[in-house]
Parts: sequence; C-alpha cells; structure tokens
Amino acid sequence: MKRIALYLALFAGAVVSVAPYLMTLNSALKEPAQVLTTRAWSPALPVTFENFAQVWSEYDMSGFLLNSLLYAGAVTAGQVVFSTMAAYAFGRMSFPGRDALFWGYLATMMVPQIVTLVPLFLITREMGLIDTYLGLILPAAFGTPYGIFLVRQYFRTIPRDLEAAAHIDGAGTWTVLVRIMLPLSRPILATLATITFITTWNTLLWPLIITNSDATRVVTLGISALKGQYSSQYHLILAASAMALLPLLAIFLAFQRHIVRSIALTGLK
Amino acid sequence: MNVIDNISLRGGTARGQRRARRPLAPRIRALVEAYILLAPSLAGFLLFLVAPIFGVAVLSLFDWNLMGAPSFVGLANYRELAADPEVWRAVLNTIYYVLLNIPAQTVLALLLALALNRRMRGGKALRVIFVLPWMAMPVALGVIWTWVFDPRYGAVNQLLGLVGIDGPNWLTDPAWAMPVIASVNIWQYTGYTMLILLAGLQAIPHQLYEAAAIDGTTPVQRFFTITLPLLRPSLFFVLVTNTIGSFQIFDTVFVMTQGGPGGATDVLNFHIYQQGFQLFRSGYASALAMVLFGLILLITAAQFLYFRKRTVYDFS
Repeated sequence: MKRIALYLALFAGAVVSVAPYLMTLNSALKEPAQVLTTRAWSPALPVTFENFAQVWSEYDMSGFLLNSLLYAGAVTAGQVVFSTMAAYAFGRMSFPGRDALFWGYLATMMVPQIVTLVPLFLITREMGLIDTYLGLILPAAFGTPYGIFLVRQYFRTIPRDLEAAAHIDGAGTWTVLVRIMLPLSRPILATLATITFITTWNTLLWPLIITNSDATRVVTLGISALKGQYSSQYHLILAASAMALLPLLAIFLAFQRHIVRSIALTGLK
Repeated sequence: MNVIDNISLRGGTARGQRRARRPLAPRIRALVEAYILLAPSLAGFLLFLVAPIFGVAVLSLFDWNLMGAPSFVGLANYRELAADPEVWRAVLNTIYYVLLNIPAQTVLALLLALALNRRMRGGKALRVIFVLPWMAMPVALGVIWTWVFDPRYGAVNQLLGLVGIDGPNWLTDPAWAMPVIASVNIWQYTGYTMLILLAGLQAIPHQLYEAAAIDGTTPVQRFFTITLPLLRPSLFFVLVTNTIGSFQIFDTVFVMTQGGPGGATDVLNFHIYQQGFQLFRSGYASALAMVLFGLILLITAAQFLYFRKRTVYDFS
C-alpha cells in the first residue's frame, strides 16, 4: 500500500516534469484556430506542421537557429579546448604562482554575470565588436573557471604512473596531454561540452545587449521578439519555442548518462 | 563553500622537493610550458572577468551615459540608489522571489530524493526524466508559462473552471505575477536539486540505519537524527548555489512581465539592465550591480556561518 503511494507520487512528479514539453509540442502541432480555444488539453487532431513552416521561413527562425548554432558551437569548442589546457597546467604541472592563480579563478566563480556586464560591454565596444559574431562569442570562448575546475578535478583521478611512463619514453607535455590524458577524459569532456552548449544556447542577457540586428540575432532573442510582437498568436510562439527546445532535448538524451552522473557529483566535494 | 575547501592544492610534496634539486633549465622549460597552456584562458580571464570586476567598482563612482566623457561623482550614485524607492522595491521583490523559490524547491527535491533512494525498477529512467526541466531554455519556458497561465486560453484557468473557480489574470495581477514566475524556476530546478541530494543520501552508510532500527527507532526519528545531519554538506551546497542562482533571475521576468504589472516583478537584475542598457546610466547601473554583489556575498556568508557549526563525521 505504502509502495503504491510512493510510485504514484514519483509518477506524478515525472508527469509534471515532461508535461510542459508535451503540451507545447501538442499545441504547436494544432491548427491556429484550435490553439485559440478553451480546450488547451485536447490532442492535436489533425496534426499540422503549418506553424513550424511559418515561423521557420516567414519569421526567420531558420536564421536565429543558425546563429545560435554558431554561437553555442564556437563557445563550446573554445571552452573545451582552453579549459582542458588550463586544467592540465593546474592539475598536473608545478610552477610558481599556480595555487594563488587557481584560487583566483575559483573566487570569481561567485561573481554574478550582471556585475561584470556594463564593463564587459564597454570593453567589447572598445574592440569594435558590437553586433558581430566575434563580440558575441569572444568573452565566453576562452574557457571558464567552472570548466577548468571540472576538468582539473577529473585529471587528478588519473594515475600519474601513465604519464611517468610516457615521459620516460621521451614524450613531451603536449604528447602526454593529447595522447594520454584526453582519451582517458572523454566522459568529462563530453559532459563539459554538452553543459556548455546547453547553457550558451539558452543565454539571453549577453546577446541581448551586444547584438542589435537580424543578422546576428540568436534564438533566445528571436523568441522574445516574436512574443513581444505576436503575444496572442500562441500557435506561432509555441512552435518557435518547441523548435528551440527539441534539438537540445535530443542532445541531452544522447549524453544523459554522463550529465546525470556529473550533476550528482557536484554536491559531493 | 564546501566545493572549495575540499580541494587539495598540494600536488604531492615529495615530488616538489625532488624538483627543487633539479637543474634550472628544465624548471624554466616547465614554467614556460605551463604558461603556454594557461595563456588563452588567462588572457580571457584577465580581460573579460578580472578587468570588468575592477571596472564595475570604478564605474560606479562615475556618471556616464556611454557617450561623451564620464564625470566623477564620488559616492553620489550610491546615495541616489539608497534614496530611490524603486531600488528598495527591486531588492524586496528579489528577496521575495528567492523566498518563494528556495524553500519549495528544496523541500520538494528532498522528498523526491528520499522516495528515489532505494532499489526500484525504473529508478534510473526516473532520474533522467526529473532532470529534463533543468536543460530547458528559460526564454521558451517564459513563453510556455505565459500560455499555460493565459486567463482565457491557458490550461490552468480552464482546469480551475472545471471545478467552478474563476481563475485570476495571473501575470497581470500584482499578487500573482511573482509566484507564477517563481513556479518556472521551481519546476526547472527541483529535479536538479534532487539529484545532488540523492547523491548525498547514497553516501550515508547503511549500517547507521540498521543499528538505529535495532535500537527500535521510528523512521521519522531516523530521518531527523541520521539523514538530516549527514545530508548537511549537500544541503548547504544546494542552498548556496540555488540562492545565488535565484538572486540573478532575469530571463523569465524579461519575457513574461518586463518587471510589471506596476513594478511587482521588477527584480534587481532587471532593474540593473533597464538602468544600464535602456536608460544608458552606466555609472548608476554599476553601483546597483555592486549592491547586488554585496547582497549575494552577505547571504552566502550567513549560510556559511550557519552550516559551519556542523559536526564532522568520519566513517573511514
């Protein structure tokens, strides 16, 4: 009896977790007249892809999605490469100033993004990068303290003997990093890449202040502009939202095993 | 924070001593190699993070509309914000939002974690399902929630209508707008918080529960004398990170209410954005940002002091 209650509670939680996704998709697949009714729960019958087609071409969702793909892709590539390099220096090499510098990195993890926003905008403006892809990407592309921390902690679990053996065989620092550490660190690198991609894809604030034309507009801005303009046309803005959510759902499900484990571990040390 | 104080910074002292006796040339080589590896991240760190942190403190002492020459005004921005009722409202709105979020989210997450902390069929799949909300785009969620809470076309009022309740105009009602925005965040982060707490629960040794059960304790007693004290590090972690996160609420407010109705959801981050990038008062916005930062530091320190009084249990 107690067991049944427990399963029911968990089942209810699971339903609540997926309901907004399913309801959004369901409504995006309805005909416009059916969305604007007093039956939000009714299934999409007949199914139509008209709303998707309309936001894709008429409202330039294709352009926004492409910009987001570029933005999130470039930031992710930079984050993974540069965080890994720094993590190796911090985790495996000894040099003067290492510990002080690492603490400096960690201390900045507490600084909220809004705090640095005005000066960051001014610096980017000085560099002449307002409303450019470079201005969008650059500030986030050199690796973050969070990424460095994550990879460094993982590197420290790899036995040193492997590197020592390689060094005896005459391998240099780069060879050890690329041929030994990276292959062993695939799970954490996949996790870092996925989390970075998701976070960047979902970012609103930085694109909001640094871009101002359709050419550089990312999907978060596209959706909020659509909502501002067509607030009552739920069939359109729900279709746009579904298009922004579903690709990430696919990425997440592909890497869910690593991500679930790494979230669980963030609480334990 | 426990993440930070658990990191060992010493990479093995024996190795360090051996290195000290090595000749100079390889040591310089190692130093150069280390800084080559660090160079890109260090450049980004200094230019895009450290410089802006100092920059915001300096800017907060100036009056500057982003054009022309900035003029030094000393602490005038701080005096102005202290006397500005809109700022106080934004501070209170932000604290209200955090208080709506954190207790509900933490209690729900703890209950879910307790329910999932056993061997059961489908446990792994359930964990993945509960984390699905975490990766959703807040902007899209803002759109979806606006629709779900739409007075006429939304699911919530239609359901309420079935039981004869005439639902309010949620997002244009000053009393309801903030709870609705908070519900987005609760939905998004409960599963994530649950996962962290679940990992904490699983680290508690079974023998403790068995021994306590033999002593004839009730499950409720065991929860308060074993589970809760031993879960403290994980609880501390989620409370600190979720509180810091909640203080920075922006996206959902931007999409759902733009601070309205009548300033009821004008939170600090949104207020800073408006001052800095819509009214172009970059000095004033910087001073506000400093206040937000100070507030976050204060609350983190308070949480730290509260949790530091904990006893350390060693099971090794």
